[in-house]
Amino acid sequence: MFLAPDGAEIEIADTAAKFLSRAIPLDRLHGAAASPALSASLRAEFASLGWFGLVLPEGAGGSGLSAVEHALFYREVGRHCGPVDILAQGLAAMATDDHRLRAALLAGEQCVALAVTDGSGLRLLGSPDAALALYVDRDGARLLDVSAIETRPRPSLDPATGMRTIARGTPEAITVLLDGDVWRLGQLAVAAMQVGVAETALTLIVEYAKVRETFGRKIGTYQAVRHVCADMTLRAEAARCQLWSAAAALKERRADAQAHLDAAQHLANRAALMNADANIQLHGGIGVTAEHHAHVLLKHSLLLSRLFGSKRTLLARLLHAEIGPADGVGAAGAAPVGRSVASPEAAG
Amino acid sequence: MDLRYSEEDDEFRARARAWLQTHVPRSPRPPRGRAAADFDRAWQRKLYEHGWAGVAWPTEYGGRGLSALHQVIWYEELARAHAPHHINTTYVALMHAGPTLIARGTQAQKAYHLPRILSGEALWCQGFSEPNAGSDLASLTTRGVVDGNHVVVTGVKMWTTDAQHADFQELLVRTDPESRRHHGLTWLICEMRAPGIEIRPITTMLLDEHVNTVFYNEVRIPRANVVGEIGDGWSTALATLSFERGTGFIGDQLDLYQRVQRAIGLAQQVRLEDGRLAIDHDDIAERLASLKADTMAIRAMTLTSIAETDRTGVPGPKSSLMKLMVTSTHKALSELVGGILGWEFLEFDGDRTSHPWTYDFLWSWVFTIAGGTSEIQREIIADRLLGLPRAR
Repeated sequence: MFLAPDGAEIEIADTAAKFLSRAIPLDRLHGAAASPALSASLRAEFASLGWFGLVLPEGAGGSGLSAVEHALFYREVGRHCGPVDILAQGLAAMATDDHRLRAALLAGEQCVALAVTDGSGLRLLGSPDAALALYVDRDGARLLDVSAIETRPRPSLDPATGMRTIARGTPEAITVLLDGDVWRLGQLAVAAMQVGVAETALTLIVEYAKVRETFGRKIGTYQAVRHVCADMTLRAEAARCQLWSAAAALKERRADAQAHLDAAQHLANRAALMNADANIQLHGGIGVTAEHHAHVLLKHSLLLSRLFGSKRTLLARLLHAEIGPADGVGAAGAAPVGRSVASPEAAG
Repeated sequence: MDLRYSEEDDEFRARARAWLQTHVPRSPRPPRGRAAADFDRAWQRKLYEHGWAGVAWPTEYGGRGLSALHQVIWYEELARAHAPHHINTTYVALMHAGPTLIARGTQAQKAYHLPRILSGEALWCQGFSEPNAGSDLASLTTRGVVDGNHVVVTGVKMWTTDAQHADFQELLVRTDPESRRHHGLTWLICEMRAPGIEIRPITTMLLDEHVNTVFYNEVRIPRANVVGEIGDGWSTALATLSFERGTGFIGDQLDLYQRVQRAIGLAQQVRLEDGRLAIDHDDIAERLASLKADTMAIRAMTLTSIAETDRTGVPGPKSSLMKLMVTSTHKALSELVGGILGWEFLEFDGDRTSHPWTYDFLWSWVFTIAGGTSEIQREIIADRLLGLPRAR
């Protein structure tokens, strides 16, 4: 029993933090050159460091790591409001057993968007040049070919993530995987990214409260500011600790892993949205300017909060979920999540 | 990172469970008064005799010398066995006084008091707060005059839980009349039967008398009862905190989780004024599920705190976060259930057993005020966790 990052896990998180703060700093989303796209060169850099194959077995070209490292990596991605493309690309390699396609995905040569249900159709989140889109539901995942269909770019509220709708045509599935693990790893990644957003919001306002003065005093001396910061700390901490519970439960394939995931995702969504809100408010006027990061955190967390199950769905499932006994009875001995190779199912 | 208990952990749990199965008292704890204190003493005595007292206390002081995780397992098994709750009249002795004596007491103080604390023979109360020194504890004015081999105490303490049952008190007084704030204070062991002490119960909004005002009229306390140095009492008071590892809340977490489950059960039976079951109202169902997530997070916070303390060797300053989380979850649940229940929620005569939800609702203010108000906890978080500039 050790519910915190340890040893090699800390090293991976540190490596990710260093890389991401250089590769996708929040500053990228401001100024004339700002773009939500994950450029081909950046994609190649992620790929060369193995970030797209973190949980894929080594035999399939991945790093063979577990849900825990997956959560640690995406928490760091969340701190910088990393585009949803990263997650789509990271999950896509699990959804195919075609060696060549998988290698192209892991190498970042093939760009993948995330397809989400939009009314009766689909909406694509990610770079406009993605020729593939990953559609995930609780039963499995499909890689769709979107190269030949007509799409319409939409103005995305979230500056970090591009958005398209399908104007005409139905994308064809080129691979189908019947395995709920992709969805669960998606849930875990969303929870992790929202924890990262919640933590960044807290960091930004605490830094500002230490330097900004009103009425001749630092605003960090006012209880109206201090107490809101304390509540932000608590929301981020509760979400972070439950994220570790969910990651470890998923890694160990515990019977109540789904409940821990749902709780983690709900708490992380709440922490990100409420902390992003408080961060804008406590910054005052500067907090509503486009040049500040504060609005990016809010808009990005709004987008994330709609992925892999809405609040309504998460809470409806959690209400009647059984939480395993404290002694861990109920932990099945199956292979850890992230080590199952995509099963070869016919395209449908 | 893992959620697996070691074989040794599992054995410890199995032994605890087997023992509790046959030894948990069959009769419920009397709700109040002398009978409740006697019940608590008897239960602690039984734990002591069978080697279950002081699971995480050092062995040289009669404890088991086990880890914080064992302490968690022990609390989990207590909750599972519906054993008497650990927050009772023995709480101050076991959670405050004992650890403080271990850290700062003399050999004689340890030899006399620690076995009595562990065995339930001695109950303790806390004499820190005063009518004009609550959140701002360092402004306390109860006077201690050094007179040869004695410290003579005069003043008033307030909100003293279970003073009427306690044998001893952790008493913080100002021994240097010229001193201000945290300086010039002294931490004393006060015998509650000493001449010059008068205890007056305070009836609370729960219609009970668990807290008291304690008056001291030239109470003579032997100098041998000074813990730490004369004038260095603040440091002694803070020493207690170094023992706190936040594990004490695991009992509340399990308790809260079970209470959320009971509230869900209740919502499946109660019909609201529109004739529909409470659980069929989306807002109620969502709030219940969200509270369930909160109680799961409390357990995770406890386990993460233990792991991070083990890794760094330094207890994280996270107990204020835990207290805020536990007390705000408790309050939100009480309010939600109050809205589900009909008029019976407005019946109350002070009996916890016959009006549990109303009692819990009223208790939620005790929870958010006692042991440092929620506002003070937020100040501690702002100062110590976030490093925000101070105005005070």
